Amino acid sequence: MIGVTAASVHLPDTDLGPVLTELAGPGGWPESLAGTACPPERAATLLGRRGLLMKEPATRLALCATHRALGLAPGPVPPPDRDPGTAVVAAVNLGNVETVADLARTVEREGYRAASPLTAPNASSNVVATTVARWFGFGGANLQVCSGAMAGADALVLAVLLLRAGRARRVALVGAEPADPVAADLRREGGAVNPRAGAACVVLTASGDGVPLELSDGEDREASIVVGPAGVDLVARWGDYYGAQDVVSLALAYHLTAAGVAASVTVRTGGRTAVLGGANAGS
Amino acid sequence: MTVRVVASSLRTCFGTGDQTFEALLRGENGVGPLRHGSADRLGVERGYHILDDGPSRAGRWLAGCAADAFARSRADPVRERVIAIVGTGLGELAAVEDWALGGAVPDPEHLHYGGVLRAVLPGVTDVITLTGACSAGGHALALAQDLLELGEADVVLACAVDGMTRSMLAMIGRVAAEPTSRVRPFDADRTGVLLGEGAAAVALTRTERPGPALASVLATGLSCDARHETAPDVAGIAEAMRDALSRAARVASEVDVVVAHGTGTALNDPVESAALREVLLEPGGSPLVTAVKGAVGHLSGTAALVNVDVAIRCLRDGVVPAVTGLETVLPEGDGIRFVLGGPVEAAPRLVQTEAFGFGGANAVSLLEAA
Repeated sequence: MIGVTAASVHLPDTDLGPVLTELAGPGGWPESLAGTACPPERAATLLGRRGLLMKEPATRLALCATHRALGLAPGPVPPPDRDPGTAVVAAVNLGNVETVADLARTVEREGYRAASPLTAPNASSNVVATTVARWFGFGGANLQVCSGAMAGADALVLAVLLLRAGRARRVALVGAEPADPVAADLRREGGAVNPRAGAACVVLTASGDGVPLELSDGEDREASIVVGPAGVDLVARWGDYYGAQDVVSLALAYHLTAAGVAASVTVRTGGRTAVLGGANAGS
Repeated sequence: MTVRVVASSLRTCFGTGDQTFEALLRGENGVGPLRHGSADRLGVERGYHILDDGPSRAGRWLAGCAADAFARSRADPVRERVIAIVGTGLGELAAVEDWALGGAVPDPEHLHYGGVLRAVLPGVTDVITLTGACSAGGHALALAQDLLELGEADVVLACAVDGMTRSMLAMIGRVAAEPTSRVRPFDADRTGVLLGEGAAAVALTRTERPGPALASVLATGLSCDARHETAPDVAGIAEAMRDALSRAARVASEVDVVVAHGTGTALNDPVESAALREVLLEPGGSPLVTAVKGAVGHLSGTAALVNVDVAIRCLRDGVVPAVTGLETVLPEGDGIRFVLGGPVEAAPRLVQTEAFGFGGANAVSLLEAA
């Protein structure tokens, strides 16, 4: 059985309050969703200073979301022991587009000697997934999905696949997108009305612990809360997080079920349905 | 459980998979003047290019390979669930760079390959694009096998594609002491890496599906070094090798041939040699080791599936090409049986292919004859 044992929503410019009050009633917020989300430029307040030099906003947001999902106190993480049983699946499309655009302009204008070698890791898009792995010592399979708006849903499918195939006993599913000028222009070109920067993290295991998660292609089971199409419209309420959107929805669903606000929550993602909680909730 | 390769389609600077393998056997290299951006700005003068022009080059190569592998797999999407997973290192970031330099703004939904592949794979259920640096294709292959073994799909196309970006070329130029003229994997006098262009698609099915097959994939091992931003790490790479052997229920001494990653860089080749020694040689293995980047360049996320295509041909034809560009074996490679000078006739039963990506994402596959 696949279970979700922890999650975080890290959306710096978004007030979660109105949606949570609607769903959980005044004062019924899951405690785990309390607190403010630092923006990427102030990530050091949560993560500590070390290692953040030249880290792009999406990477910083992904680190913040993972840090919070793991329940770590603010401050630097001690050098982790490498854990080959934990995999990372990141859903990120536009993490390095600003770096790549800047590099192209710099090189065209001044030549390659003007490019800092410190940006080298950011020339490769998978930098978000590998940085999360290094920061927290996750030595299992390392995937970054970039299927556009479907990235979060695809990443969830692959996270479950890694667990079912015995490639990992725990997966950190992380969604992150930036809203730097390059990313925001691209997203508006793609039709986004309200592109935002944010991240979320959902920790999945195959151990039977946590809130049960089931995936299906078809109709969802009866659930008191539905997130996504014909349910709580998080894009309209919280903003457009593009490839991270479905991970944000899953993280919210986890918090609501884990806190007992609802016995089960259905998340409608791009083409698939995920149900958290349900018959086995709380077991 | 093993899965079967029912089709493999490749596009490199030499052309098709047949043409690429023939060039490897002849010891040719496909390097030429850099055709992406300007050499003086990038600090890179050479590249392994596909000599075509026009828009959406990478998408066209990928579509061509995927359509070919799909047709030859005889997949029937009415009865069979077909999924495509595309691994790429640089993806369509070149379109973002073109925009930054005055071109048109791309639609973000054109920065992945869902649309490209749905257009040529009628009835495909899902198309998933992964960005995974230089081992992306190996990750696609691993997930393809998982999907088949768990009954989530009946036919999976593990695909990969890569062109070049100015940003990656500039980083290669920035760290090179002087511009590299060709890639020389595992050579004592290697001078660094050059990029190549290409695409690949491997069609996989479960063993019980009737019809001919090219080879079997026993397993792909995955790991992440979780150690350094760009430098490879022996422990992480060795773990991916051991994971592949363990998942395939094979031992080191059974590996007959290794199609290595071999980038010709200061960092990769000694580390890869150390991992080969630790995992395969020390327990008693003595495989022949070849590598293709001296011939076709480093195809980024496509590199893993180039190695897989070459492995399939080694199994089928009983011949292992030499490492193009390797003349004097690096000191750390002492004792490793690199194929030197010309191809070697062999009858390999088990072939290991390797790909290691930026950030330490590693994929190692084991293949045998069908």
